[in-house]
Amino acid sequence: MSVFTDYKKEIMDAAHNERIRIALSRAIKRYRANINNALEKFPHTIKMAEEVREIKVKAIGEMEQLAEQACEAIEANKGKAYIARTADDALNIIGKLVGSGKLIVKAKSMTGAEIELREYLEKQDNDVYETDLGEFIIQKLESRPMHILAPAIHVPKEDVAQVFSKITGQKLPPDVGTLVATARKLLREKYFQADIGMSGANVVAADTGALFLIENEGNIRLATGVPPVHIALVGMEKLVPTFGDACKVAEVTWRYANYTIPQYISVVSGPSSTSDIEKVITYGAHGPIEFHVIFMDAGRTELAKHPILCQALYCLRCGGCLYECPVFSVTAGYFGDKYFAGIGAVWASMMRDNKEKTAALAYTCLTCGRCKIRCPMKIDTPEMVIELRRLIAEGA
Amino acid sequence: MNKKGKGLIPPGLIYMADNITSKQNLLGAPKGTGAKWAEDLNLPKEAETIFFAGCGYQYTTTLKSMMSLIRKMDKSPVGAEVPISIAGFQKKMGIDLAGVYRKLLVKDTDSDSQPLRDAVKVLRNLGTEFGYLADDEPCCGGLLYYIGLQSKFAQNARRVYDELKSHGVKRIIGLVPSCTYTIRDLIPKYIEEYDLEVKHFSEVVLEGIQSRELRFPREVKVTYHDPCQLARYLGLIDEPRQILRAIKGIELIETDWTNREWATCCGGGSGFEVVFPELSEILAVNRARELVETGAEIIVTHCPGCIMQLEDGLKKLKIDNVKVLDLAQIVAMAMEV
Repeated sequence: MSVFTDYKKEIMDAAHNERIRIALSRAIKRYRANINNALEKFPHTIKMAEEVREIKVKAIGEMEQLAEQACEAIEANKGKAYIARTADDALNIIGKLVGSGKLIVKAKSMTGAEIELREYLEKQDNDVYETDLGEFIIQKLESRPMHILAPAIHVPKEDVAQVFSKITGQKLPPDVGTLVATARKLLREKYFQADIGMSGANVVAADTGALFLIENEGNIRLATGVPPVHIALVGMEKLVPTFGDACKVAEVTWRYANYTIPQYISVVSGPSSTSDIEKVITYGAHGPIEFHVIFMDAGRTELAKHPILCQALYCLRCGGCLYECPVFSVTAGYFGDKYFAGIGAVWASMMRDNKEKTAALAYTCLTCGRCKIRCPMKIDTPEMVIELRRLIAEGA
Repeated sequence: MNKKGKGLIPPGLIYMADNITSKQNLLGAPKGTGAKWAEDLNLPKEAETIFFAGCGYQYTTTLKSMMSLIRKMDKSPVGAEVPISIAGFQKKMGIDLAGVYRKLLVKDTDSDSQPLRDAVKVLRNLGTEFGYLADDEPCCGGLLYYIGLQSKFAQNARRVYDELKSHGVKRIIGLVPSCTYTIRDLIPKYIEEYDLEVKHFSEVVLEGIQSRELRFPREVKVTYHDPCQLARYLGLIDEPRQILRAIKGIELIETDWTNREWATCCGGGSGFEVVFPELSEILAVNRARELVETGAEIIVTHCPGCIMQLEDGLKKLKIDNVKVLDLAQIVAMAMEV
């Protein structure tokens, strides 16, 4: 029971941490006000979410074909596309593309975190900058992300001021505006010095090979637009058949992530190009010269075969469920591994790296079911968790 | 069962699961101890419609004592895991640890069985005819299902069904939300010939009070806490509210946002409270706080687990001017029965 005991100690420490409780109760309050506002302003989202669920259910059954189709489309756009069967395959492909001694600017990617991509690249002697502010804070604090959209949700501004003061050598006040400006200053030049920009994707259209990237900060535009090479790591569950489908998935995703409209939606489908001189198509204009997309399986096609657990793949990663989980509200991402809360237990089981941790997570879910009420995909997390417990109990 | 798999189930859950399979109740109490509350009520044991009392209400006092012990252990450096494992071990050795706890700690049993006695009075007052299986009432086994022991649940489901059938039961009025959901929705998945009609107490009451004048003894502000199993599993969200609104003198104040299907869990559920006793208490405090913020003087709910949790939460918050009452108690008071 040592894994369980360690885990229990960790979540209890979190539960006794007043700062986590305060940070989360504020975040939950804001989330609920924002999403109510977003859904009131755009009430069609609820119907659209039902449509998206159907799109996802179908797409998850066809991941393999969609990945092949997307690869062809990306190659036709003069990009390079790869299918990685395992996490190691994905790391190897990226490792070969990157090499060592490179400066990399990285957008936030859950899939990247899943396979510990940054740590891997750092080990290969590369200099990796997380450019998402929350992720940048986490990197500097040597902490780990605690929410899929707001990784530094558990860090109060005073702690951020402290770490930024250390980096800059100046005494910075715990003022949010000052801290954001400091991050901007620290990172701005890196985009232009970087050899490689890296990202994930929120959804990918298989017919066109178009990657949709949703953000507010502008770091993804810079990281994927400025450096000469763009590498994207995408979980195969992000694939949907058409560009139109992808637009719907994207809108539902950001709406349930509590935004009326995000500040930026980037659609990337190949390396930059021009035909302005004598109509000769030339690749490598102002944006990246190379564009690489890795579609990663790593247990997804296997999970898709399970009649109940396959629901985990419908997840849009809007993060709404986390705000509704009573356990998460006091423990943050300590109730989780790479992914969080009840559904995180299912993802942990897919990654198969730690059975005991998976079991500990599965038995931390209250099966109270409020996450299901929030979920735009109506994912039945209690049902999945109970099934997962059955598999654990039966030693499967 | 695969031994390795079983090793991954937290010991507190294994302990309760063994109690269900060996003694037909969550606590491993000797047969019949749960039926004492009804001794003077003269409920027939053989009837087509029965009232299903459930472990949670029948063993409230013992559960409270156990939880208080487990929470104390959980906060101690030893933790709750080891003693619970030993409890399971001792039981195998023939030592009735739960019985020891009971003798040591049993206190105000009468007030704990009040929701059951009131539920019976209310149903009788509405002219419902029903019986109670008393010491033959099986444990629904729901916990087995929730903790992943579905094969044991399937065996238990057969046992429950056969027991009910052997008493000629056709209809069941459930009170504990979890037992009601288990008998209504889970057991039929495993019993092909299942033909029982299951209703929850709140549904029966709502039908019965349509033309009745109900008045609470005094003017009172109440809030209502939806139990997860009642609201999100059984889908009974409007029924308890309609009942409360039908009672003159009661003003129902809802919590801000966290009501109906959005209600926050009390922190007890599917055995969570024995695996994470202290965390469960923190969640109970959080939920109690949300409910107290309404300004209500009574928190009405409808689940023995929620009652225990919320009472604990109030105690931790040092709030003694807010009471937690079961909906059955409220209706009984309004009927003056």
